[in-house]
Amino acid sequence: MTARILVVDDDASIRSSLAQQLGEQGYGVLLATDGADGGRVFDAQLPDLVVTDLAMPNADGFSMIGHVRASGATPIVVLSVRGGDADKVRALDLGADDFVVKPFSTPELLARIRAQLRRTGTRAQLDFPDLVIDVERRRVTQASRELHLTPTEFAILELLARKAGRPVTFDEIIAVVWKGAPGTTNDAVRVHVGALRRKIEPDPSNPKYLVTEPWVGYRFIAEPIG
Amino acid sequence: MLLPFPSVPEPRPIRGILAILSAPILVGAMTFVALQLGANATTVGFAYLILILGISINGGFAAGLVGSLAATLCFNYFFLPPVRTWTISDPANWVALASLLIASLVASRLVVQARRQAENAEARRNEIEALYGLSIDLFAATNRVGALGEAATRALSNVGATGGGLILFADGPFSQNVISWIGNREDEVEDLAAGVGRHGQTLEFPAGGGRDVYLPLAMGGKMIGVLVARGSHATKRALESVAALVALAVERERFVEESSHLQALRESDALKTSLLRAVSHDLSTPLTAIGMQVERLQKQLEHGDLADTVADLAEQTARLRRRIENLLAMARLEAGDFVPRPEPTPAADLFRAVREHLPLVEQNHPLHIEVDDDSPEVYADPSLTLEVLVNLVENAHRASPPNSPIELLAHRHPFDADRVRLEVLDRGPGIAERASESDTARRGLGLEIARSFAAANGGQVTLANRPGGGAIARVDLPAAVLPAMVEAPQA
Repeated sequence: MTARILVVDDDASIRSSLAQQLGEQGYGVLLATDGADGGRVFDAQLPDLVVTDLAMPNADGFSMIGHVRASGATPIVVLSVRGGDADKVRALDLGADDFVVKPFSTPELLARIRAQLRRTGTRAQLDFPDLVIDVERRRVTQASRELHLTPTEFAILELLARKAGRPVTFDEIIAVVWKGAPGTTNDAVRVHVGALRRKIEPDPSNPKYLVTEPWVGYRFIAEPIG
Repeated sequence: MLLPFPSVPEPRPIRGILAILSAPILVGAMTFVALQLGANATTVGFAYLILILGISINGGFAAGLVGSLAATLCFNYFFLPPVRTWTISDPANWVALASLLIASLVASRLVVQARRQAENAEARRNEIEALYGLSIDLFAATNRVGALGEAATRALSNVGATGGGLILFADGPFSQNVISWIGNREDEVEDLAAGVGRHGQTLEFPAGGGRDVYLPLAMGGKMIGVLVARGSHATKRALESVAALVALAVERERFVEESSHLQALRESDALKTSLLRAVSHDLSTPLTAIGMQVERLQKQLEHGDLADTVADLAEQTARLRRRIENLLAMARLEAGDFVPRPEPTPAADLFRAVREHLPLVEQNHPLHIEVDDDSPEVYADPSLTLEVLVNLVENAHRASPPNSPIELLAHRHPFDADRVRLEVLDRGPGIAERASESDTARRGLGLEIARSFAAANGGQVTLANRPGGGAIARVDLPAAVLPAMVEAPQA
């Protein structure tokens, strides 16, 4: 069954370009011009994923996110503008799953959509090119060589790898890995991610697994196998 | 309407001498009347006391003293038995005589003191009223710049000065601006004013009909000028209060001037900001759409000349898009609409992003990336820092011969442990052959943008020739300080 994607944007040229590109990838495409229109189409058609702009007349992207979240866990990818970092974080906090920054490249947007439609679930083993994470036995092997991670590093890696291709915010990492321990700062997370990187990145000058999402958190960028 | 300042009371010697001479005459007259009426000693004693009080109030302490002595003598001679002799038979009368002398002396002293206090209080009250009037004149009158000189002139005439004026220091006591002046200004005025400004002490000396007073104007511990009052009779205290008020008024006028300037700046900034937002939106949206259509075309034409043309079109569109964004970001930084948000960022992430942003550069020049193991993370705005590097790499790309590598290095600053140095190295012709460092015409906008963004992050960009040929662009930025490790609690 092909996934159906709802595109909400007030700019006609962006709507039609996205409709063409997504159509070519075999997705079913639904279009809406603003948050209010988007809400109506969402309720009537129940798409598998929503791509929404943030700044729109009538009802904006934030109210669109609220509307979608009120009815379930449908993935939401936000189109944000350059310099709108506060908006980006606000959208993620409201329940958006990912974002691309305008002007974005189509392959980037398609990769984000694929990552959202993929469900990693609670698999006991996560396979990536040259990297296998055995969650049950808490072991990480890279090119058949075992890596020694501290429990904190392992917990961060597992969280990021389960959400491969999607951004994970500092708050989420602190909530899951540190169980929200008071006084845990973003810098504490950075220190552990730095140590983790030195262990899993074969060439630390050119990261292949873990990248920083400025002001947001981190993203595990390797594509899972299988 | 300004109230005049009270003058320092002048000593009047003739009136004093008259009062002293009249005291024994008045005592004599009263003695004559008492003898005529046949009054007894007790009555006369009290009457003397009242007379001395009157003499002291009108004639001062000296007259009171002379009157007291005269009254004591008359009391003894005419009224204490045996009368009309200087002897006293009853020892109790010695006490009466001494009491009269002491009581009249003490009373005249107290009366004089009380009168002086009353006079002082009156003078102080007048001064305060005059200062109040002056402060209203200085502060409530106008927002008009330039009214200060006129107000100072009014303040001076108000303290009874016949000349003088306001001198402000432009840059220390030796560069003086005369804001207002009445009367002659001799050469020494400038030196005197400079001396007063340097030492911060009031200078006062008699001249002409009164005295010349040079009053320092201080604000926040800094000397801002001198107020000169010539021929004034007002007290030093009153003059210093006037100087303090004038100093405040000078400060106020400066603030009024600055705030009207700031207001104008703010208005033009607000205009710039709203224009920028509109321009930014109007440029970004069509560029995004053009970019997407070009990408589609590129995919449809996989081979052939047309495909190359479209690929070039795509690259140029991307460059135009970046350039416009850079320029808008630069303008926003300048307008204060955009404030850099520094964040600890690994150099490797920045280099990786550079690679992703410049695919065409990588097709023509291998990008060698190297991050030292002990290189700290950069503490800077990640998106601005990325643009710094993208612009420098583009410049290196344009200067380099085909297929020569471009290197990106990150390490701790060699002389400053709190900074990180990012370097872009090429094998082009180097700096001297290309242009002088200040010549932006040939290096183009890219270097300007890189410099502006680096500066906004507390960093700087420098260019140097590379040993063995080529150029090095160095970006020095603050290093991030990360805390010690805190392990997560384990389940």
